[in-house]
Amino acid sequence: MGMNWRKIEEFFFKTLMIGATLIVIASLVLILATIVVKGAKAMNWDMLTKTPEGGFYLGKEGGVLNAIAGSFYLAGGATVMAMVLSGPIAIYLNIYARKRSKTAEFVRFSLDVLWGVPSIVYGAFGLTIMLYFGMKASLLAGMITVALLELPMMARAMDEVLRMVPHDLKDASYCLGANKLETSLRVIVRQTLPALMTGVLLAFGRGIGDAASVLFTAGFTDYIPDSLFGPAATLPLAIFFQLQTPIPEVQDRGYASALILTMIILAISLVVRLLTRWFDRNSV
Amino acid sequence: MVHIDVQNLSVYYKGQPGLRNIAVEIPRNKITAIIGPSGCGKSTLLKTFNRLLDEQEGIRIKGTVLVDGEDIYADKVDVTQVRKKVGLLAQRPQVLPMSIYDNVAYGPRIHGVRGRKRLDGIVEEHLKMAGLWEEVKDRLKSPASGLSIGQQQRLCLARGLAVEPEVILADESTSALDPISAETIERRFMELKNDYTIVMVTHVLRQARRLADYVIFLYMGRLIEHGPAQEFFDHPKYAKTQGYLSGRFIEEHKIDRELDLKCGEFSADMKIVRDEFGKIKPGQILRVTVDREEAVGEMSGSIESDGHRILEAKRVGKISWEIVAEKQKRIK
Repeated sequence: MGMNWRKIEEFFFKTLMIGATLIVIASLVLILATIVVKGAKAMNWDMLTKTPEGGFYLGKEGGVLNAIAGSFYLAGGATVMAMVLSGPIAIYLNIYARKRSKTAEFVRFSLDVLWGVPSIVYGAFGLTIMLYFGMKASLLAGMITVALLELPMMARAMDEVLRMVPHDLKDASYCLGANKLETSLRVIVRQTLPALMTGVLLAFGRGIGDAASVLFTAGFTDYIPDSLFGPAATLPLAIFFQLQTPIPEVQDRGYASALILTMIILAISLVVRLLTRWFDRNSV
Repeated sequence: MVHIDVQNLSVYYKGQPGLRNIAVEIPRNKITAIIGPSGCGKSTLLKTFNRLLDEQEGIRIKGTVLVDGEDIYADKVDVTQVRKKVGLLAQRPQVLPMSIYDNVAYGPRIHGVRGRKRLDGIVEEHLKMAGLWEEVKDRLKSPASGLSIGQQQRLCLARGLAVEPEVILADESTSALDPISAETIERRFMELKNDYTIVMVTHVLRQARRLADYVIFLYMGRLIEHGPAQEFFDHPKYAKTQGYLSGRFIEEHKIDRELDLKCGEFSADMKIVRDEFGKIKPGQILRVTVDREEAVGEMSGSIESDGHRILEAKRVGKISWEIVAEKQKRIK
């Protein structure tokens, strides 16, 4: 009897595991299939290389280069800003602060809370700040907002990475007379670069794909942004605007834009994988 | 010539004493071995010499460590300069995540050495000193992690030598290696001791016998005995040392009678001690605590010449010392 029950138990959990895995894979395939099938019709060279021309949103000539460029500028800038802040935070938490320091624990807790804040809240926060300083919706305002959105994720990812660095490695560097900063930058960052890059990539992916935070802050324009203080188009908003229209050709272009965004993220993942393999050569 | 002078050093870990009142002088350009059973504080003592212990949390260090007469725990001391002068070879080789070349060049670069030519020279010279040059000269650019464990340890030695230290600390540096690699490291130490002061921690007595010129024996955080190797191994003075060297279980002495002596005039003090011996039976143990270091030698000598056996004499406080002696039947 007992034997049987154990078998049933195991069978049940095996089925559950396989089922859950299949659902995940199937969703991914379905999402990709939807955007590929629906977007392929509207996908052409013009989509990638042209900005919207007159009547684009009614089905006429043009492409979404404005949004592609805008998204890269915006997410790129935001990611750099977030990196400039996350790196020092992670190094402070792991190399300089004592292990159970109250400050360090409070910083970690704050980052966890910020991580959970929905992006529309960042958008609203960005808008408030913008209005306070009398700024208009612009590339810079969008960058700052998206940087704030990316920061908790990136800082905590880096924090977890640096936490795993073995004591012996730090000691080896200290024993040669290196100080904490030299040890951090020349040894620890080098050792963990692939993992740190993964954190940066995850944050970039979140930044480039997020619509709510840029909705109020970055604005939208049919032109490629040429100034930090002018508005910038982004792919998520381009998708949103095109899918909203009742015109089927424009809706298809919305899917084509989604396909472009997905491909960008895929390409970046691949690049980082290659980089990881390259840097891994020397890690110990 | 004294190179490292340890005065009254105590180390507390989370409030618990790990090392108590250690006082010892480490000779220059000799190999000094720190021996003792596991957990006696060997590595702790070693890591106070380059202030690596500072990096550990919950550690409090009291007392003085002088290297070349300079207090390395003084406020204005730059810890990176201490570690440049006093290198450490760890138990397990920990190569840095970079090429063989960069591992050796890392230290010199940190300390401001620039220029390809100079660095090339430094790398070659120190890889040769560590006996690794021939094996790696054709693949200096390949990752250090690709070397065998034994080669990695020699790379760590080369890397440590490249910052031109005066002292090399070795924390059981051969224990993770195969016998042949271990022997290679030992041979390097024998060569290096002409120019460097080497302090090694080992739990292998034979290794200490082979290499050491001077020996320090720790037991439960206390310094029990120290002296030139020959004398230490051939004529250990105290019962605990004798027990450890012969592989016997070390017993804590059961104290039968105690005497806390405020030291005054020596012959009067000695009379009190003799009276106390009169009150115990042969085989029983008397512990005398004195408050002056100079009294220890004289008094131990007199007790021994009375025919009793000194079990140990150790520092227990800033100024107080303990002499533990067993009463013997007088051999006439």
